[in-house]
Amino acid sequence: MSWYDKLFEAESYTLTNGKKVSQKFTRLPLIIMLFLIAITISVWVTGFSVVTLFTNFTGFWKLFGSMFPPNWSYFPKIWQPLLMTIQMSFIGSFFGALVALPFAILAANNVTNNRVINLTIRFILTVVRTIPTLVSALIATYIFGLGTFAGTIAIFLFSFSFVGKQLFEYIETVNMGAYEALVATGANPSRAFVTTILPQILPTYLSTSLFAFEGNVRYAAILGYVGAGGIGMILNEKIGWREFQSVGMILLAIFIAVIIIETVSQQLRKYLS
Amino acid sequence: MIKFEHVSKTYPNGVKGLKDINLEIQDGEFIGIIGMSGAGKSTFIRTINRLNDITEGKLTVDGIEISKLKGQELRHYRRKVGMIFQSYNLVPRISVIKNVMSSLVPDMPFVRVLFGLFSKEEKVRALEALDRVSMLDKAFVRTDQLSGGQQQRVSLARTLTQNPSVLLADEPVAALDPVTAHEVMDDFKRINEELGQTVLINIHHVDLALEYSKRIIGIRAGAVVYDGPASEITSDILDLIYSKEEAK
Amino acid sequence: MNKKLEAVLSKEPHRGLQYGITVIILLILLFSSTPALGGAHMTSKGFEIGRNILTGIFTPDTSLLFGLGDSGVMYLILQTIAIAFLGTLVGAIIAVPLSFISATNIVPKPVVVVTRFIIMAIRTVPSLVYGLMFIRVTGPGPFAGVMTLAIVSIGMISKLFIETIEDLDEGILESLDAFGSTLFQKIRYGVLPQLGPDFISILVYRFDMNLREATILGLVGAGGIGAPMIFALSAYHWHQVGAILIGLFVLVFVVEILSDKLRHKILRG
Ligand SMILES: Nc1ncnc2c1ncn2[C@@H]1O[C@H](COP(=O)(O)OP(=O)(O)O)[C@@H](O)[C@H]1O
Ligand SMILES: [Mg+2]
Repeated sequence: MSWYDKLFEAESYTLTNGKKVSQKFTRLPLIIMLFLIAITISVWVTGFSVVTLFTNFTGFWKLFGSMFPPNWSYFPKIWQPLLMTIQMSFIGSFFGALVALPFAILAANNVTNNRVINLTIRFILTVVRTIPTLVSALIATYIFGLGTFAGTIAIFLFSFSFVGKQLFEYIETVNMGAYEALVATGANPSRAFVTTILPQILPTYLSTSLFAFEGNVRYAAILGYVGAGGIGMILNEKIGWREFQSVGMILLAIFIAVIIIETVSQQLRKYLS
Repeated sequence: MIKFEHVSKTYPNGVKGLKDINLEIQDGEFIGIIGMSGAGKSTFIRTINRLNDITEGKLTVDGIEISKLKGQELRHYRRKVGMIFQSYNLVPRISVIKNVMSSLVPDMPFVRVLFGLFSKEEKVRALEALDRVSMLDKAFVRTDQLSGGQQQRVSLARTLTQNPSVLLADEPVAALDPVTAHEVMDDFKRINEELGQTVLINIHHVDLALEYSKRIIGIRAGAVVYDGPASEITSDILDLIYSKEEAK
Repeated sequence: MNKKLEAVLSKEPHRGLQYGITVIILLILLFSSTPALGGAHMTSKGFEIGRNILTGIFTPDTSLLFGLGDSGVMYLILQTIAIAFLGTLVGAIIAVPLSFISATNIVPKPVVVVTRFIIMAIRTVPSLVYGLMFIRVTGPGPFAGVMTLAIVSIGMISKLFIETIEDLDEGILESLDAFGSTLFQKIRYGVLPQLGPDFISILVYRFDMNLREATILGLVGAGGIGAPMIFALSAYHWHQVGAILIGLFVLVFVVEILSDKLRHKILRG
C-alpha cells in the first residue's frame, strides 16, 4: 500500500504546544471505489436487474403459493426416502468423522512432529474440502452408479475434510504439558496421547462431528438432484412433474426432520461443552 | 457547585440506593468516594449526571435543579458533566482518535454527524486531550490494540475533549494493576490541578483514595457516614464505613 | 476431604456406563443405517471413469482452462465470483433488518420466536428448489443464481448477525448517553462501529461459502461453473472435466485463503 501513501499526502496536525503528528491518508475512498467496481462488474456479468426482480416477483409467490396446502396424502411415500436421507447422512458423517481422527492427529504439528507428514495430510484435507459436496456426489454417481451409496460417499468426504480440519486446528491448541511430561518419563507416545490429549479433544471432536451431521442432513436433501439417492430424488421428480403440492409436503417433511435433528444435536452439543 | 438536599433513591425493585444525602461540593474539589461493594457509590455518582434519577429530595448543580431537565436540556447539561466508567466503554475496532472525537458529536450539525466528518480543529482538540494523558503516539492505532490502562486513558481523553467542568469516575482503576492504577490516578490529579475541573472518583481501594483525594465521602448502605478531609480519616472511621452490620 | 475423594471416585464408573450406552446407541444407529450403503454397483466401467477423471485432471484441456472467451474457465470463474458476490450482498440487505427484529435485546420475546421460525423455514428449503423458483422470476442464467444464493444465505447471515447484535456492548451506549448524545448519534457512533466490522467479517465468510454453492447452481440452469462441468461429464469429455475441476479447485482455494486473511485483518486489526 505504499504507492497509495505516496500518491496521497499524509495529513499533519500541530498541537498548541508545538507537537506534530501525521495521519496517513484514509483508505476509505480506495475501498469504496473497489467495492463499486466489483458491484458494477458483477451486475454486468450476471445480468442482475432490480426492475425485473420487482416486476416479475409474482412468479415466485405464485409457485410458492402452489405448494399450499401441502399434499398430505403423499406423506406415506415420503418417509421412506426421508429416512434414507438421514441414514445416508448418519453413515457418511460417522465414517467421515472416524477417518478424520487419525488424519487430524497426523496433521497437527504438536503431536506429529514431522513437517512433511503434516503438510501432506493437510493438503489432502484441503483438496477434499475444496470440491463442493454436490460435485463429488455427481462424480460418485458416475463411478459407483446412481443411488444412495454415491450420496453417502459425498457426505463421507465432506465430513472427513470438515472434521479433519477443525480437529487438527483444535489439537494444535491443546495443553501439551501432561503429554510431554509422560513421554519424558519414558511412556509410550501413543499411550500418552490416549491418556492426556484424547480426553482434551474428545468433547470438541464429538461436537464438531455432530455439527457436521446436522449440516449434512440438510445438505443430503439436495443430493438426490444428481441421482445420489434420498429425498432429493423424489423432490426432483415432483418438481419435474409440476406436482407442487407434493413438493410442499416434501419440504415440510424435511423442515420438521431438520428441526428435530438440530434440536437434539444442539442439546447434545451443549451438554458436551 | 453541586448540592444534595435530602436526596434519596429507591430502585424500582424497592432497594434503597441512597438515603437522605445532604452535602455540597465546591468547584475544583478532588473527592474520593469509598464504601463497600453495593454501598451505593455508583448510584451516588450516577445521579449527578442523571444516569440514575433520584426519587426524593433536591439535587442542584450550579443552581439548576437537574431532575427537572428534559430532552435537549438534559443532553446539554450532560456536556458539562463528564463520566468515566470502569469498563472504558470504547468501541474496540476503530481508531483511538475516532473514539475520542465521538464526544464532540453532540455539538456537530446533522450532516457532519451522519458522515463522520470532523474538522481539523476538532481533530486537534482530540489530539490535545490525548497528549494530556500521554497517549498522543497512539492516536491512529486501533483501540483494541491498547492495554487496559491505555484504554482508560483514552476514555479520559474522550471525556476531556468535551471540556466538562465536572469529572465523574466510577471505579476507573478497579480493573488495572497497581502501577497502572497510579498512573491513571496521576492523570486525574494533574487534570484537576491544571484545568481546575471538579473530580469525583469512586474507589473501593482505600489507600488509593486517601493518597489522591483531599476530601473523602464514605458511604455505607446508601447513607453518607463520613464526609471530611482525607487527612482526618482514622481506622475507627474506616471500620465504620466498612463494617458489616446494617447502618441504622 | 475424604467425602470429596469418594465423590470423585463414584463418578468414574458412572462415566464408563455413559460411554457404554453411547457406544451401544451409536452401533444401533449405525446398523439401522446400513441401507444407505446399498445401491453400490461399482463396475469396471465405474473404475475406468474414475481413472479417466484423474487423467483428465492431469491433462486438462488447456484451451478451455486458459481460454478468454465466454465459454472458457476464466470467464466461468469470473461469473461464479460475481454470482457469489452479488448473492451475498443481496442476502445481507435482507438479513440486516431481519436480524434486528430477531434480537432479544431489541424486540420482545414473542416477536423473536416468530421471526426466528421464519428464518429457520427459509434456511431449510434446499438451494436448488429456490433456484427453480427464481428461474420463474429472472429466467434461467446467473441472475437466478444471484437470487438463489441471496435467499439461502439469509439463514446463516441472520443467525450470526443476531449473535453480534445480542453481544452489543451497552456500556458504550451508556457512555454516549453520559455525554449527551441523541438516539441517532448513539446508533451512528455506538451501534454501527461496533457491528460494522463483525458484519463485514460474517459476509466475507458467507461469500466464501456462497462461492462453493455457486459452483453447483448450474444444475438448475442458474449459471456459474457447474453447468459446463455437467455437460462435460455427461459427454465424457474428461480433459474438459479436468480443466473445470482445476479451475474450481484454484478458485475455492484462493478465495478461502484471501477471505481468511481479510477476516483476520478486520477482526484483529
Ligand atoms: N438498577 C438497579 N436496580 C435495582 N437495584 C440496584 C440497581 N443498581 C444498583 N442496585 C442496588 O443498589 C445498591 C447500591 O448499588 P451500587 O450503587 O452499584 O453500589 P456500589 O457502586 O457501591 O458497589 C446495591 O444494593 C445494588 O444491588
Ligand atoms: Mg459500583
